[in-house]
Amino acid sequence: MGALPEFAFARPATLAEACALLAVEGARAVAGGTDLVPNLRRGIERPAQLVDLGGIAALDRIEERDGALALGAGVTLARLADDARIARVLPALAEAARSVAGPAHRSAATLGGNLCQDTRCVFYNQSEWWRRANGWCLKRDGDTCHVAPQGRRCHAAYSGDLAPVLLAAGAEAETATAAGTRRVPLADLYREDGAAHLTLAPGEIVARVFVPAPTPGRRSGYRKARARGAVDFPLAGVAVVLVVRDGAIAELGVGLTGTNSRPFRLAGTEGFVGQPVDDALLASLAKLIQKQVSPMRSTVTQSYYRRQVASVLAQRLVRELAAG
Amino acid sequence: MRHEDVSLRRAPAPPTHSIGSRTPLVDGIEKVTGRARYTADLPLGPTLVGRIGRSPVAHGVIRRIDATRALALPGVRAVITGEDFAAPYGVIPISQNEWPLARGKVRYRGEPLFAVAAEDEAAAEAALAAVAVDIEPLPALFTAAEARAPGAPLLHENKPGNIEREVEQDFGDVAAGFAAADLVLERRYECAEVAHGQIELNATVAHWEPERERLTVHSVTQVPYYLHLTLAQTLGLDSSQIRVVKPFVGGGFGHRVEPLNFEMVAAALARAASGAVKLELTREEGFLTHRGRPATETRLKIGMKRSGEITAVDAEVVQRGGAYGGYGLVTILYAGALLHALYKVGAVRYRGYRVYTNLPPCGAMRGHGAVNVRFAFESLLDEMAAELGLDPFVVRRANLIEPPYRTLNDLQVNSCGLAQCLDAVEQASGWRERRGKLGRGRGLGMACSHYVSGSAKPVHWSGEPHAVVNLKLDFDTGITVLTGASDIGQGSSTLLAQVVAEVLLLPMARIRVVATDSALTPKDNGSYSSRVSFMVGNAALRAAQGLKRVLVEAAAKRMEVEPDDIDWQGESCCVAGTDRRMDFAQVVQAALADTGTLTVKGTWSTPPETQGGKFRGAAVGSTAGFSYAAQVVEVSVDEDTGMVRVERVWVAHDCGRALNPLAVEGQVQGAVWMGMGQALSEETRYHAGLPLAANFLDYRIPTIAESPPIEVTLVESMDPLGPFGAKEASEGGLHAFPPALAAAVCDAIGLRVRELPLSPDRLLEAIQARRREEKLRALRAGRPGADVPEAERR
Amino acid sequence: MPKRLLTLAVNGRRHEIAADGHALLVDVLRDALGLTGTKQGCDGGECGACTVLVDGAPRLACLTLAASVEGRAIETIEGLARSGRMSALQQAFHERLGTQCGFCTPGMIMAAEALLRRTPHPDEAEIREALAGNLCRCTGYVKIIESVRAAAEARP
Repeated sequence: MGALPEFAFARPATLAEACALLAVEGARAVAGGTDLVPNLRRGIERPAQLVDLGGIAALDRIEERDGALALGAGVTLARLADDARIARVLPALAEAARSVAGPAHRSAATLGGNLCQDTRCVFYNQSEWWRRANGWCLKRDGDTCHVAPQGRRCHAAYSGDLAPVLLAAGAEAETATAAGTRRVPLADLYREDGAAHLTLAPGEIVARVFVPAPTPGRRSGYRKARARGAVDFPLAGVAVVLVVRDGAIAELGVGLTGTNSRPFRLAGTEGFVGQPVDDALLASLAKLIQKQVSPMRSTVTQSYYRRQVASVLAQRLVRELAAG
Repeated sequence: MRHEDVSLRRAPAPPTHSIGSRTPLVDGIEKVTGRARYTADLPLGPTLVGRIGRSPVAHGVIRRIDATRALALPGVRAVITGEDFAAPYGVIPISQNEWPLARGKVRYRGEPLFAVAAEDEAAAEAALAAVAVDIEPLPALFTAAEARAPGAPLLHENKPGNIEREVEQDFGDVAAGFAAADLVLERRYECAEVAHGQIELNATVAHWEPERERLTVHSVTQVPYYLHLTLAQTLGLDSSQIRVVKPFVGGGFGHRVEPLNFEMVAAALARAASGAVKLELTREEGFLTHRGRPATETRLKIGMKRSGEITAVDAEVVQRGGAYGGYGLVTILYAGALLHALYKVGAVRYRGYRVYTNLPPCGAMRGHGAVNVRFAFESLLDEMAAELGLDPFVVRRANLIEPPYRTLNDLQVNSCGLAQCLDAVEQASGWRERRGKLGRGRGLGMACSHYVSGSAKPVHWSGEPHAVVNLKLDFDTGITVLTGASDIGQGSSTLLAQVVAEVLLLPMARIRVVATDSALTPKDNGSYSSRVSFMVGNAALRAAQGLKRVLVEAAAKRMEVEPDDIDWQGESCCVAGTDRRMDFAQVVQAALADTGTLTVKGTWSTPPETQGGKFRGAAVGSTAGFSYAAQVVEVSVDEDTGMVRVERVWVAHDCGRALNPLAVEGQVQGAVWMGMGQALSEETRYHAGLPLAANFLDYRIPTIAESPPIEVTLVESMDPLGPFGAKEASEGGLHAFPPALAAAVCDAIGLRVRELPLSPDRLLEAIQARRREEKLRALRAGRPGADVPEAERR
Repeated sequence: MPKRLLTLAVNGRRHEIAADGHALLVDVLRDALGLTGTKQGCDGGECGACTVLVDGAPRLACLTLAASVEGRAIETIEGLARSGRMSALQQAFHERLGTQCGFCTPGMIMAAEALLRRTPHPDEAEIREALAGNLCRCTGYVKIIESVRAAAEARP
């Protein structure tokens, strides 16, 4: 019932083997499978070979040194949610991990998988029959974006919960290919195009994520808007890292998800440094967010709502964190 | 060994009482251990894989379906189309306009067009892709307004204006009623379409024996008997060639109360392939099969006296019915019948329109027909109460029915515990002390509801009793209850066992239930309109009484006394006032002597006076017993995000008599909660006729995370016709939730929402619209920024 | 595509199964091993009915490639009863009507089992969080919470 399209399956034990397998055309990486397998079941993806990264012990580590984190891409969301070091250093990451889907997803889903989660759209996350009846779409097999038929790009929304936290905290990603590894700011992993939101080269995977040590006194949090108390992807998700010193903002990072085709770090928050967290500042923050988010008609919930609620959540979170 | 001695050596077990005790389900162990076999789980041997090819077009003429290429593929055993069926179908005999596979025209995207049977899934998929289909598109109609517009193309040639059914009902002098009112208010309400969302996917296994020309069908149905009839009709078979078995069913809620296209398709595939076919549908296909609650627009006007007394009601209801008849005409009739019959009202004018559109067909869903009008009615009562300065409880109490009572539309009410329900929830919720005092953002709301305990007239009127139960008692001294009643999780098998055990004062361990196999069990109309407890319960009661008579007579004969002298105590009986005693096994042995296996039948039919009036459509809404419910909902509302959180619900349900309080509580909680889903988050959506939310991510059934505690009080009004006084408990609690929620939101933030669901985006939009309005009003009043009192906040 | 030999440890027994590389755990359990207690209620990852345990953690069998859990300890609803005795959760779900139609029940019980092994005496919030991915359409969840509570109290 609902069998998957045929593909070959490999479960390498090392990163090098995985990279070699992934260098072949038609190969695709899978970790927890919670994002990919539903797409396979709907015929959205038809890889020739799946390379299961779940057997690579090196990807399954959480390391902490003086507050700096090195997180293996294979660490599950369940572990991120429960890890004492993460709870201490970057509690928002644990919060975000815990807010994903349900427990049975979280014990399979991984950090790397969540960061590389496919973008979502009501015209895309449908069965093959449905997509064909609708004339396919720009993201897959078609040439029209049904969200914005006049436009020229895909407006599917990125909906991972972890990326905004890591972006707000200034994380970097280490990626790997058969040719070796490279380290890039996490933001560089993404672009504002729903059909090609990841900048990874074919066969390239995220191997590790590095989070720099926090400024003393840093607080962090994550809030997501969703219709139900669980399961749902964020209609909008906001992560905040904040340092308040002597009543004024010393550091403010805001990450957003669910509103655009990529997760992004809110630009312009450095302008708030030195200001107290008051109504005026929160109003400016809301304006900044309104300018930078661009939710489209890609969910069953109206896009204006996602826009509104993004700033409401950000304002609340900043206020809460400032209050301690 | 024969028991010659009629005096017992050991002390007999005391009589056992089963009614009123909290009884776990008789099939619960199978469910918690994973042993319960649902249709898709049945070990029926190798089967072919069935698949349905569906229309990509919303409305069009079928020019050609060419299966030549598909049939040539390896492993493909059959391809069928609408031409392979003998007749159309439809659960209501007078509106049968649907073919299991479309014929001539397609009328919605996703309508079954053709079907394949193949040796495995891959071959079936390949066959689906290889069938060539040519459809000439016609203009499609996706809203009731479009479909009713002058000049709109017709979905069905014989239905002008695309109206499936127009209902006109007038009772009493409505104009005089409004003239006599102190307050007349008119409002419009909108409810989005919702779906059943039973967790079990649809599945049918059909087995055709070519040698015998016999068909056996296992399916997920709530109505095996209707399915049986429909299989015979659509496949052109004699009923005697067919056997229908209902295994464990993973919920229904009305999705499965009519025979569904895939069930007939599986059977036709099995016949075409001369073998066994398993047809499992995806979740998306469940949403395409649909039969849910229609999107409904209600215009409602009520006249009320200062006392709260309702003088007149004027309602117009439009239901967007989808492409085929299904239960549609019943739905639009229920909406009228149950709109006002909850209360004593002065006069009623009802206009109902069931409209055909190019969308998956709607049908019956828990609370059939009455939920969306209840939302309108109770919401308007709440609003009028506020205008008149009356407590919402006072308004309800001003219009209570006192049984026996004949409603304006000729419905017979023999018992009504609504007054006690109101008292119970008013007290449990702390209404008097707490309402209006919870602070901004938190509120309480209340509403009432009622529902039928089975439709008093069956869909197929054959003159037979409404319910039949057989009891079999044999040498093993166990009693087998043979029933056609479909247990779909509501616990009907448990209830029937309890009824039989109670009459005979025997422990439940002696009773087995064998249900829903047309080769073994008596015909039953099915599990719909909450008929089983009342009707089948009554039949079981009568069967058990009949069996008891046989046993008592046998004991009397053996002990050489008159039956009246026997004191029946279940596991034993004695001659009254003596120590002459027989145990149950001895009685059974005595009863079997000369006759052998005992089979006793019990039947029940609704009395004529409960079958409604004489006007057209009067049968719908008629029942032998109305349940009643009242509930209070407490919410907190986040005005910045539009999120509504239900903190707690208090519900009181008049179930007549709680035969199994554990199960009744479970049913009431489930019903209330399903009302919450409709009120807060559930909504089907379409993009040019394609369902956007055909999955459990976008069709948002509440999770455990946001589901509130639901405190249940059971009110026992002891219905004179119900078995042991019982009435329905599975549906009536649903209807009051949406209006109680809307009232609670209004209490919390002073904003009245007249559209369902109150999803965060919809609520936030309403909140912001109000803010804009207030600003505008303040500007007009020349007091920029001034606080404007909220119109509806007391 | 050639089948591969999978060695799966299910409910404490080793099974060697010839399966496709792309086989899902739910299909292997149901079709190859006849363990039909694990249900499928959606088109992938939306309802929780297929929840099983893999090394004690809840997993969705409908999203799990069977080949990816070779060598791991897989537990299904059929493995909970020991020597003919229902587990505390099974007993409680039965006695307190944590099950109505029963279709979500195996997944619900497995999710609750994972919770109780980690947190033997959960509070209500923990119960809600642990079962948040399992949809039930019958009960309104009230008696499910009561059942898990009762099982926690009954467990040694």
